[in-house]
Amino acid sequence: MKTFEEKWTAWLDGELTGKELEEFEASLPDRAAAEAEKRAAHKLGVLLKQELGTEVLNNEEFFSHQIRERLARDACAQDRHRTRSTWWTVPRLALSGAVSLALFLVCAVFVMHDKNPAEQSQYLTQILNARVDAAVSPNATISIFETKEDKVTVLWVEGLQSLPADYAAK
Amino acid sequence: MQTRRLWFVTLFALVMSAAGSLHAAHTVWSGLVIAQNVAQPAPIPPALMRIEETLKELFGYNQFQVIGQSTKTLKTGEEDWLASSKYFGLHVDARGETSAGYLVDLKLYKEEDLLLETETKLSKRSPLVIKGPQVGNGQLLLILVVQ
Repeated sequence: MKTFEEKWTAWLDGELTGKELEEFEASLPDRAAAEAEKRAAHKLGVLLKQELGTEVLNNEEFFSHQIRERLARDACAQDRHRTRSTWWTVPRLALSGAVSLALFLVCAVFVMHDKNPAEQSQYLTQILNARVDAAVSPNATISIFETKEDKVTVLWVEGLQSLPADYAAK
Repeated sequence: MQTRRLWFVTLFALVMSAAGSLHAAHTVWSGLVIAQNVAQPAPIPPALMRIEETLKELFGYNQFQVIGQSTKTLKTGEEDWLASSKYFGLHVDARGETSAGYLVDLKLYKEEDLLLETETKLSKRSPLVIKGPQVGNGQLLLILVVQ
């Protein structure tokens, strides 16, 4: 059962027909005033359509429009993201890491080869022990030292038996 | 794509050269040298060029003549060899590689007599010079250089 307001709205929109229309119009207390109001509502409707000109979208068009807008927004966001971080792709990150590791290895090798001066002593030749045949050279003495300039280690043996010049032969 | 390949090749070469330099074989020059003063000194042998000034300052001679020599490339660090002249023999016995060089035993023979014996840690950066006996008006030197 429709209420009066529902029937009134339907009457204004011209949607009441037949017996229902006759009954509703008969029930109106002031038919002339109601007709005037109906005309005014109709005029207002026409005026709104003309002035606003809004295109009415049905459901299918509306959702399609929303999806297109959403896709456009996503595409813009992706473009912005790409422009901000184009260089640091995963392969490039991996390559950069590998290059850094290689540089580290090379530097480490150079450091291992070129120890600082404080550690150079262990890279000098060291005489662990030295012996002279006491029977042949009883007065021989041994001393050890290093030269600063070119890091020559010298084993200085004094008192060995002198030999004739013939021994200098090749 | 080609640039990336080039990068990887360069990287590989760098790493391999670095790794290779850690275990490079070394050559040891060992020599019997007669140092003496002469009017017209001969040029110093190439193996001794880097220590020429030191030798002259230390021993006071102007000529250094090689009378016996041997150049040995060490692969295992446990090789032995002999540098000899007519009357002298220097036996070098490498007994292994250390972090800085090689452990070597040296023996100087005069004909069959052992004159001098020494055990040293021979550094790759530090030549070894041993003052031997006086020979005529000169001096016998035993020299080892890792090249």
